[in-house]
Amino acid sequence: MKYFKQNSVIIFLLLFLYPLNSDAQDYTMQRQSMVETQIRNRGIRDASTLRAMRQVPRHLYIPENQQRWAYEDRPLPIGYGQTISQPYIVGYMTEIIKPKKGYRVLEIGTGSGYQAAVLAEIVDHVYTIEIVEPLGLTAKAILDKNYENVSVKIADGYYGWEEFAPFDAIVVTAAAEYIPPPLIEQLKDGGRMIIPVGSPFRVQQLMLVEKKGDRVSSRSLMPVRFVPFTSGD
Amino acid sequence: MAFKLLTSIHKTARISALGLHSAAIIAFQLILMQLISVMQGYHFAYMIISIAMLGFGASGTFIALFRKKLLEASNWLVPSLMAVSGFFMVVSFNLARMPVFQFDVYLLFVESSQFGVLALGYIIYFIPFFVGALAIGILFIKNAGQIGTYYFSNLLGSGIGGIVVVILLSHIFALQALPLVAILSVMAAVLSFEKRKRFLQIAGIVLSIGFIGFSIFQPGELPLSEYKGLSRTLNLPDAEIIHKQADVHGQIEVVESSALRYAPALSFTYTGAVPVKKNVFINAEFYGVIPLYDTVNIHNFTTEALPYVMRQRDKVLVLKSGTGTGVAHALQSGAKHVTGVTEVRGIKELLKNRFAEESQYFALKPEANFIYSDSRQYLLSQNQSEYDAIILPRMESFGGSMGLNALHEDYSLTIEAFQLMWNRLSDHGVISVTTWIDYPSRTTLKIAATLVETLRANGIESPENHLVAIKSWGTISFVLSKNPLESSDIANIRNFCREMLFDPVLLPGISDDERSVYNQIEDDNLYRYLDAILSSTDQSLLAEYDFHIAPATDDKPYFSRFLKFSTLKKLRDTFGAETMPFLELGYLIVWVTLIQSSILAFVLIILPLFKLRKRSRNLLPTLLYFGALGLGYMFAEIIFIQRFILYFGHPVYAISAVISTMMIASGAGSLYSGKFKDPVKASGVASFAVAILLLIYALFFTNVLTLTIDFPLFIKVFIAFFMLAIPSFFMGMPFPSGIRILNQNNEQHIPWAWGINGCLSVIATSLATLIAVEGGFRVVMFLATGLYLLAFAVFYGNSLISKKA
Repeated sequence: MKYFKQNSVIIFLLLFLYPLNSDAQDYTMQRQSMVETQIRNRGIRDASTLRAMRQVPRHLYIPENQQRWAYEDRPLPIGYGQTISQPYIVGYMTEIIKPKKGYRVLEIGTGSGYQAAVLAEIVDHVYTIEIVEPLGLTAKAILDKNYENVSVKIADGYYGWEEFAPFDAIVVTAAAEYIPPPLIEQLKDGGRMIIPVGSPFRVQQLMLVEKKGDRVSSRSLMPVRFVPFTSGD
Repeated sequence: MAFKLLTSIHKTARISALGLHSAAIIAFQLILMQLISVMQGYHFAYMIISIAMLGFGASGTFIALFRKKLLEASNWLVPSLMAVSGFFMVVSFNLARMPVFQFDVYLLFVESSQFGVLALGYIIYFIPFFVGALAIGILFIKNAGQIGTYYFSNLLGSGIGGIVVVILLSHIFALQALPLVAILSVMAAVLSFEKRKRFLQIAGIVLSIGFIGFSIFQPGELPLSEYKGLSRTLNLPDAEIIHKQADVHGQIEVVESSALRYAPALSFTYTGAVPVKKNVFINAEFYGVIPLYDTVNIHNFTTEALPYVMRQRDKVLVLKSGTGTGVAHALQSGAKHVTGVTEVRGIKELLKNRFAEESQYFALKPEANFIYSDSRQYLLSQNQSEYDAIILPRMESFGGSMGLNALHEDYSLTIEAFQLMWNRLSDHGVISVTTWIDYPSRTTLKIAATLVETLRANGIESPENHLVAIKSWGTISFVLSKNPLESSDIANIRNFCREMLFDPVLLPGISDDERSVYNQIEDDNLYRYLDAILSSTDQSLLAEYDFHIAPATDDKPYFSRFLKFSTLKKLRDTFGAETMPFLELGYLIVWVTLIQSSILAFVLIILPLFKLRKRSRNLLPTLLYFGALGLGYMFAEIIFIQRFILYFGHPVYAISAVISTMMIASGAGSLYSGKFKDPVKASGVASFAVAILLLIYALFFTNVLTLTIDFPLFIKVFIAFFMLAIPSFFMGMPFPSGIRILNQNNEQHIPWAWGINGCLSVIATSLATLIAVEGGFRVVMFLATGLYLLAFAVFYGNSLISKKA
């Protein structure tokens, strides 16, 4: 009887815990592979960005029905007409703002919360604003559970978060036709702001805005470089 | 005598019922098009409905397989099918709205499961067309001897159906119009009511009336794709639809929210508040904002201010002015007389009535004029006017449009349209075009190429002295000046750029460094190709570019079509296979439609009918003849539609007028074909006449239209009617004549012929578009000529050879 009980426990563990453990291991392996093949091999070299992306379980920030594709090289729908960006774009946007310890970063458009989580692994504090309430609440729940250095607000991102300004960097994850003047004002001197330009399923350009004194300039970046044929080709 | 009278009344009732039912089907098709456009987008509606329309072809197969039983039961079956078709028009749409059947076409290339739901959608929408076509097919086959009369009724009904829809959608929403159209089929069922199996027919009619009645009083809501502009906007806090209006161009909705601001590519130097504005949507896609006249004009802080910073513009014409933001901008920039041309009637009404106070409707100001007209037609009509500035709307959309408009013809952006604009400029007049900066560069380069070609066509040897472009972080604005730019213009532009943190891109005497002072572009190919366009010696670089950037013409008016077949592999390797669909979705959708409709046509219609080979011979002539007619008719129809859109403007009305005129004239031809005792002769004479007429049209049609395009409207209507009615009359004869030939020799082929004709008509729509994109409209017309010659050769040519032999 005693043996039976012991065996039952083992069988139980094998039956129920193993798959869970296996799933977790599986996701971990997928994540490592994602960082190597999609991020590092494409030229992202910033060590803190790579470490953060190895650390954050992307699948937890994705609706359950999409989780099995969490580490694929593409954006995924998260509801309300929004998407979670392709991992490479998240990595690119993170690297480009040169995040480091001591930074305060403002994010406009929390969405799934994944970008905020990646940033929270590197910087001191992330302030993130989401305008769509249900999305903001879901992201807040998971970010509150995992990070103490992330503050989530459900509000109109236009006004930024004046209370905690100025920010070392601003990440605008929701593409906008204009850059709200309050955001430029809340950017620190020497700060960087990054904005994706494109449809939910295809980001081809990123806009880097830099502020140096009174001068604000932009740089259009192409994560995927298209080189036209020339007569020499 | 009484029996004869009763039979005659009964026959007339049947023929009228056929017309009514045909009107219902075409009206249902057009209304469904608008409903799916609202829910998913116009292109997807096209894709879905073309598959549903294969119901016509499938009905032919079904009749061929169960011919005897169907014909035996035809008296009571036809009215029942008409009633059931009306029933399914309402039920299918309600089913498709249920969450379980809802697909999202935007996710189609992301989630494979969406394909399954899309397939279910195809089946659901297929049913009413299949059932409706079955009733028509049975009537045709049963009355093959008098097909001329029945086909006439079918075409006449279809023609009237098209007109009815335009009238209905001008006044009520598509969702309300749907059950009204379904009622027409039920009325047709009542009209052709038969004594036998009364219970079945009454049950069908009562059930249909019940469901249709319910739908009239409980139309419900349209479930929009979550990726449609309206859906995303309604997710914003306190977002609310404050105004809804039916319009033949689509459903107009106005949304208010405290988070809706409009300031496209605003300068970094602007530090004020960005005003909140109401957004206008047409078919759930963003169309524009209601301008606020009294606030600071935000456009003065964008590159769009370029024509006004160069010098004072007294007389301004804003083409395709949408909701009138360009008109407000011109007025606030000091223009003394501004004309805005809007192509949507409802928008003018909106600004004039509901939002007049807020927008300070331009009509209240003597210096502003807001006109409902087609832009190209307006330019033609103003042959005595001269403008200091002609402004075109901002092109592309922020971040790219996913190429949805790739195959959307736009006659206001062709080289001929720019020539018209040039002709309307005053001495110091300018044409101004703004676009979002795209990557890889396509729209930007095509605009530059079009402007440079316009200058060269007008004898300007140094276009660089007439062309200026400036860029912000998001947009590039081009200005073409009729006279060479003066030093004061250049100084004003440089000052403006400095003030706003913009960069000049094209300017006489510009240096490379000047182009990237405030806004750098990592990819400098843009500058390289712009310089190549300006340089008459380096045209080879443009031909080698990976996208089509040569100017659009009236023969190929697809400004937004850029993709080249030869570079598809390269693009896939660069951007990845997953992003390919979003590079030029509009083009891809037409290809998908063609491939899937061709496969389905083959599998559903052609293959099963080959099983019938044992029972019949000489399948090839039937296949060739009715296939050629199906393709040829639609090829010609599509070209007529395109040419008359250019001739009259206003695509919605032009399409409806062309289709209705063609249907009615073809109906008359069909009726007349019955007067020929020998159907072979009728088919031969008509097919040959059509081939000759289409050949003449292929050669001279465009010239006649070009020569008469600026004639008074009533003369143009007269010319258009005759140009359309004459070939259409003859085009209505070969089909009924062919059916009569089969009725005499190969009766069992008739359903097959009906199926082939239906299938190839569907395939022809996407095929003609793709041929026109590659070869131009004239090529399609030549092909239509060839197809009618083939039809001529099959029966008549063959009979002539046999007689000689």
